[in-house]
Amino acid sequence: MGPRAEPSRPAAVEVSAMSDDDETAKADGGTASQSETVEDERYEEHPLEWDEPDNNDKAPDERDSVSHRTEKYDDRKLVTGQAKYTADYEARYPDLAYAAVVRSEIPHGRVTDIDTSAAEAMDGVDAVLTPESDAVPDTKYTSAGQSYPEPSPWDMRVLNEHVRYIGDPIAAVAAEDRSTATAAVEAIEVSYEEDDYVTDPEDAFDEDAPQLFEDGEVENEIVGHDYDRNRMAHIGGELGDVDAALDGDTHVHETEWETIRQSHANVEKHTSLAYTDEDDRHVLITSTQVPNHTRRQLAHLFDIPIRDIRVTKPRVGGGFGGKQAMVVEPIPLALSLATDRPVLYEASREEEFYAMRSRHPMKVRARTAVTDDGDIEAIDLYALSNTGAYGSHGMTVAGNVGSKPMPLYSKVPNARFEADIVHTNTPQTGAMRGYGAPQGTLALEGHLDEVARDLDLDPIEFRRRHHMEVGDLDEIAGMMGGEGANRRIRSCGLDECIERGKDAIGYDDLEQPDDDHLHRGVGMALSAQGTGVAGDELGAAQIMMNEDGSFHLQVGGVDIGTGADTAFLQIAAEVLGCDEDDIIVKSSDTDVTPFDYGAYASSTTYISGMAVKKAAEDAKERILDWGSKLLDEPVEALETGGGTVYSETSGDSVTLEEIGYEAAYGDEEREHILGKGTHCTEESPPPFAAQFADVTVDETTGEFEVHKLVVAVDCGVAINPGMAEGQIEGANHMSYEMAVSEGITLDDEGRAEVADFDEYGLPSATETPPIESILVETHEPTGPFGAKSVAEVPTNTVPPALSNAIRDAVGVRIREMPITAEKIEAKLDEREARLGDL
Amino acid sequence: MDIELTINGERTRVEAGSAEDLATVLRQHGYIGVKCGCDGGACGASKVFVDGEVRMACGMAAADADGSEIQTVAALGTQDDLHPVQQAFVDNFAVQCGFCIPGMVIQAVALLDSNPDPTEREVREALDDNVCRCTGYQKPVEAVLDAAGRTRGEESVAADGGRSVDGAPRRAESTGCCGGECDE
Repeated sequence: MGPRAEPSRPAAVEVSAMSDDDETAKADGGTASQSETVEDERYEEHPLEWDEPDNNDKAPDERDSVSHRTEKYDDRKLVTGQAKYTADYEARYPDLAYAAVVRSEIPHGRVTDIDTSAAEAMDGVDAVLTPESDAVPDTKYTSAGQSYPEPSPWDMRVLNEHVRYIGDPIAAVAAEDRSTATAAVEAIEVSYEEDDYVTDPEDAFDEDAPQLFEDGEVENEIVGHDYDRNRMAHIGGELGDVDAALDGDTHVHETEWETIRQSHANVEKHTSLAYTDEDDRHVLITSTQVPNHTRRQLAHLFDIPIRDIRVTKPRVGGGFGGKQAMVVEPIPLALSLATDRPVLYEASREEEFYAMRSRHPMKVRARTAVTDDGDIEAIDLYALSNTGAYGSHGMTVAGNVGSKPMPLYSKVPNARFEADIVHTNTPQTGAMRGYGAPQGTLALEGHLDEVARDLDLDPIEFRRRHHMEVGDLDEIAGMMGGEGANRRIRSCGLDECIERGKDAIGYDDLEQPDDDHLHRGVGMALSAQGTGVAGDELGAAQIMMNEDGSFHLQVGGVDIGTGADTAFLQIAAEVLGCDEDDIIVKSSDTDVTPFDYGAYASSTTYISGMAVKKAAEDAKERILDWGSKLLDEPVEALETGGGTVYSETSGDSVTLEEIGYEAAYGDEEREHILGKGTHCTEESPPPFAAQFADVTVDETTGEFEVHKLVVAVDCGVAINPGMAEGQIEGANHMSYEMAVSEGITLDDEGRAEVADFDEYGLPSATETPPIESILVETHEPTGPFGAKSVAEVPTNTVPPALSNAIRDAVGVRIREMPITAEKIEAKLDEREARLGDL
Repeated sequence: MDIELTINGERTRVEAGSAEDLATVLRQHGYIGVKCGCDGGACGASKVFVDGEVRMACGMAAADADGSEIQTVAALGTQDDLHPVQQAFVDNFAVQCGFCIPGMVIQAVALLDSNPDPTEREVREALDDNVCRCTGYQKPVEAVLDAAGRTRGEESVAADGGRSVDGAPRRAESTGCCGGECDE
């Protein structure tokens, strides 16, 4: 057994802003009145000038590959249906068995008996596993798929006797085919002793509420846990003195907001195929965002050395955070160990909705203190997060409710964030695109809009006076420690995002409808995210040159449909001076590709992409050396480009193919030209977004029509503008769903009421308004060729922008998502009744 | 039971369980471009032509397709010679994870067959039961409108397309999950 995460050193300790006795530990420093000396020291630690290599900052006309709309490399096999996802490998394994899972039908209780006899007697059933079976590990773990030590509690098992939600796995079956596996699951009888249950997070937080975990039952506990009250964590941080500002001579506003339980709704279901090969090594072909973390977690769970596990990722049909979790992999691995056959487990769509993961539903309270002059003196956010039955990503997602949106207003002197993360007997939550930022952004951007309107300030100008700009030292992201750190802002296109967004939506010349009962309004919201987890990322890549001048790029970075592989090719081609077609990319296979943390936290282009750039530069150094020999000119005079090495002084050149053959088959010296790169950083520069929503509301019915969404995003230099726009539009669609859809609704027992896509409110093509994405280019000196992240920030902004637009159109405010005609109508009726009373 | 199907022009007899859906049968015979994203008949990823009509193969009993002519996405174009709709999806960056794309391409081809000059609204209505989580439908809608223009012989309205979008064959088929190394 390799090293284990020691419970005594959980990552949560690094987030120890909060002790058990509910006292908010204040992060040191960071008040409005810093002395110049302190500021100088901080400049040294976080300088504005970044020591950037010359080749990293190229003018647009100098870029040969980067920022071109290069064809996405896997598109041709995708549009012809030839690309292979995990389930498409079944034909390769003639003796493949199929898995299905027995899940709890009660919200809370103990399994007293599992009668497997009928299932085991069925033809075609290979194995039935229960929590007692030898092949099933008893080890506690988290499915989170995060770095190490893991910042999520070890509170779950692969199969469970103590079940905590309708959907908890109890038994697993492997059978000849899918229908036999399903029939066997139905033939298994489970008896329970039922416990009291609780589904509402506020009720669960009560001391008398049914308790999901006993004290001491959970390993790797997280800071602020109080299982007597079902609290898995409490976090907080403060800059300055928020209470003093709230008590001062200021306008204090307080608002409360509520968000939905959103499904990742990845169209490819969680799917995983496991087998043991002829070398007694365990291979998983799996639809994952985190091959290396999955390998490490399986090693922990099954007590197998890391080296004996191989995790490979074929094409992935969408992840959005749902496949950062190791949700399904242990099941086929356990079954394959028990049956000595390859086993495929493909979750059903129904399981996707009730037994995989979802976005944490939250209530977020926002308070501000604003002076008569419209200066924000303090921002105070509090989140109550419902983490469901288990705690994966509970603390870190809640932390991001504060640490992502609040730094937007880094000029505000006093800031505080606190969160309680509470268990209920409801389906599991986890990482999801935006990662807490959508919940926080709704509260903060909705709140500031309301404050501005109340104080008769222009909502946009009000934000402009306070938003982040280049040169700022952001201490808010780091005030809770952990996932976040103080950072100098070196790129910020917020002003241009706002200007271009305003133009695109027609902010200044909005025409009102002719009908008196129809009212049109525009709302806007700003957002910031991060680019990778500050100080907790690692990516690596290697490049091998073939004798014909082509290359193999091996990279741990994980393309889950985003186009990351194509971005890697463009970055490598820009450095090597060749066509992208001359590079073959191989990513995400733990036996073959260098290490990588995986696709999450908006890190792939920035972290793994920089590793690719370094690997290409390493290879380029050797290429230039060989070019120098062949051209008989000093390396300093040489450059790569157009598939050659050329001399900037003589104009002579030699092709990469000539270099490749010479290096491989030369008479005197030979060398395999290899480049390697590994990248980690303390930096996590924020990308920015300005969102606009144009809506018309019928004041008689509350019905509304969203005409258009505009979102302008500063992602630094877009490595591929076509792909970046696609990320923005897709994220904005997901964000729109959070504004107008119910998400996964639950009945009184916490049972998901959604079983398939036709019951889930994913806005369809006709229900989705046109989305205009605008790329605002800035240059982020810490990123590869100036890039920072893009894929999460536009997930955060539609709920507040639409709430603000409704407020603008008809003067009522919806704070509880989703926004519906019924809620608007009720608010309008309420207002009418109030006016009638006067 | 044995059923007879003509799949992408090839006549074949296949065995199908009485409860087996058409998508499962097609996938078992190697037509992996027929995708399954739901529990039957809800997401549109398995769309194929059955006797010229678009059907979700997962929502149809294989037995009911006995004697039919089936066209899957594989019949439309090859990687080196894409169908105009496929080409438009590539050129417009309408593909991200790609899982829903075969079904969407089938639906778009059907739309343009019956309506060569659709409005944006008509394109959205045609794609209304194709679930896509990645794109927000913006670029797929633009791609179908672009394909319509191309099919009518009008100039492409696609974005500049970059250097590599010239219809030239791309690099060799990628290495897949592990370059074949994980084959036993």
